[in-house]
Amino acid sequence: MTLWIARLASLKLTLAIFVLFCASVVLVYFTHGSPAWILALPFCLFAVNLAAAILSNPAFWRQPGLLVFHLALLALVILLAISRLTYLKGHLEVSDGETFNGELTESESGPLHPWHLDQARFRQENFTIDYAPGLNRGRTRSQVLWQDADGKLQQSTIGDQHPLILAGYRFYTTHNKGFAPDFIWYPAHGGAPQEGTIHLPSYPAHEYQQALSWTIPGTRHKIWTLLEIDEVVLDKNRESEFRAPKKHRLLIRYNGQRRELRPGASLLFKDGRLKYEGLRLWMGYTVFYDRTMPWLLAACTLTVLGMAWHFWRKFAARPWRAED
Amino acid sequence: MEREIQLLWLAVVIYVIAGSLAIFAVVLGKRPEKTILGLLVSALLVHGISIGLRWVRLDHGPYLTMFEILSSNVFSLLFVFALAYWRFRAIRPVAAIVLPLMFIMMGWLMLSNPNPGHLPPTYDTTWLVIHIMFGKVFLGAVLVAVGMAGVVLLRAAGIGEQKFSRLPNDRRLDDLAYRFMALGLIFESLMLIAGAIWAQNAWGRYWAWDPLETWSFINWIVLAFALHLRVTLKPAPVRGALLIIAVFVLAFLTFFGVPFISRTPHQGAI
Repeated sequence: MTLWIARLASLKLTLAIFVLFCASVVLVYFTHGSPAWILALPFCLFAVNLAAAILSNPAFWRQPGLLVFHLALLALVILLAISRLTYLKGHLEVSDGETFNGELTESESGPLHPWHLDQARFRQENFTIDYAPGLNRGRTRSQVLWQDADGKLQQSTIGDQHPLILAGYRFYTTHNKGFAPDFIWYPAHGGAPQEGTIHLPSYPAHEYQQALSWTIPGTRHKIWTLLEIDEVVLDKNRESEFRAPKKHRLLIRYNGQRRELRPGASLLFKDGRLKYEGLRLWMGYTVFYDRTMPWLLAACTLTVLGMAWHFWRKFAARPWRAED
Repeated sequence: MEREIQLLWLAVVIYVIAGSLAIFAVVLGKRPEKTILGLLVSALLVHGISIGLRWVRLDHGPYLTMFEILSSNVFSLLFVFALAYWRFRAIRPVAAIVLPLMFIMMGWLMLSNPNPGHLPPTYDTTWLVIHIMFGKVFLGAVLVAVGMAGVVLLRAAGIGEQKFSRLPNDRRLDDLAYRFMALGLIFESLMLIAGAIWAQNAWGRYWAWDPLETWSFINWIVLAFALHLRVTLKPAPVRGALLIIAVFVLAFLTFFGVPFISRTPHQGAI
């Protein structure tokens, strides 16, 4: 047993693991969609080598800096494993006036992610984004309403470096945002009207592609919409602010017919009426969940402190020209 | 802007005089070390004023365009080197290796476009400044080590054996060089940590294997490998010197090469 631990603790093995680490990172970098084990393998070997070295190598116990450095490194590797098992990364889009209902447009998560996004509700209010000449994006200020633990309504302005943190989920504004034509569907034979918004492609990234097909909520009617903007929203030559255009037309194509809608106008169907309420904005967010973050930071800090302590003691004990 | 550029040119001219003097000193066996140190300090002062004027005018640090990044790196690398030059008298002739290396960066700097860039909101944070400063100390420490590694390699190649005879022997140089490499590892680790904090705030993820992150991490592994190898296998100073050069080349390419191929918001120099 002791022999095995000594073998696993070999410093030469550490060197081999460093080479393997490098090869894995380069492989993952140059090939897209590499399996996770390619990186997990050197991490696991590194953890085993570190643990064995700490247990069996008396040098660690004689040098507290070295011990702290390597224990923190080991903790870091373990925390990274926990992080990959429990994290969540995703994207969502919310129109102003709409409440985030926990639905993500895309996401990836670790197999042990607790999934309590339903506890992270917020209502999107107005948002503003500054633009400098040349269409250079500036500050984003997004107003959101959310309920605290006591059920009280809170308002926050988030954006850029300031996320909204709810139930451990961190919501960040992104460059992704655009216009959202807002409709209400009134069924002909009664029933509750249904509201829906179309999130047109991101603006100004897709300035000339403001069109999208959309299925009216609760029906099978698929319409094609095109937003025609009759004014300059973001001026390339001066400072401006992202906003919904006042002068715009919404073109609808349905069953080969083409109609132009203005706010308040309706489109009649056999089974109901679709009313165009007006143009709103939608904001794209990324959501990130990783409970290990503060621990990772603590482990990283300890690693560096341990390393600095170790090198300081080592170098102070023997000046570089001591033998001269 | 004209004043900033004039001051930068003046600083570059003084750096070049200091570097040329360092080369002549080694070739002719003279010791104008105080003059070289004085020239370096003067150039750094003038260069610092040039960077400061631009910082005040644009209201952001020198970390957006290639011009700004090269300028601030020439300043920070030579600042770290000047500190080492002042503190470690015995290794002062390595200036004849380090300063000509910096001439390449200065040439690139003078050819780059000095027009200002746009400061993205994700760059407007103290963590970015901290991240960059740690990175500059890391590269500076490795540069000092490169100076000593260069002497070891030149001696091994039979070039300048006599010229560098005033310097300590290879083993001593190797020892000091690896102390600077250890300092480099500490500051590279700090750079990665501060960068992760910035990335979390800016893009909602602390690590995403983007090109700069990936190559910085590879840098960290190679640096850790070099230090570990030294403890484990105790290589001869020449092999140690080759490893130092490898680390520097990798770090240099990460700082100044990867930004050209990166298409992510985390650009470094653009």
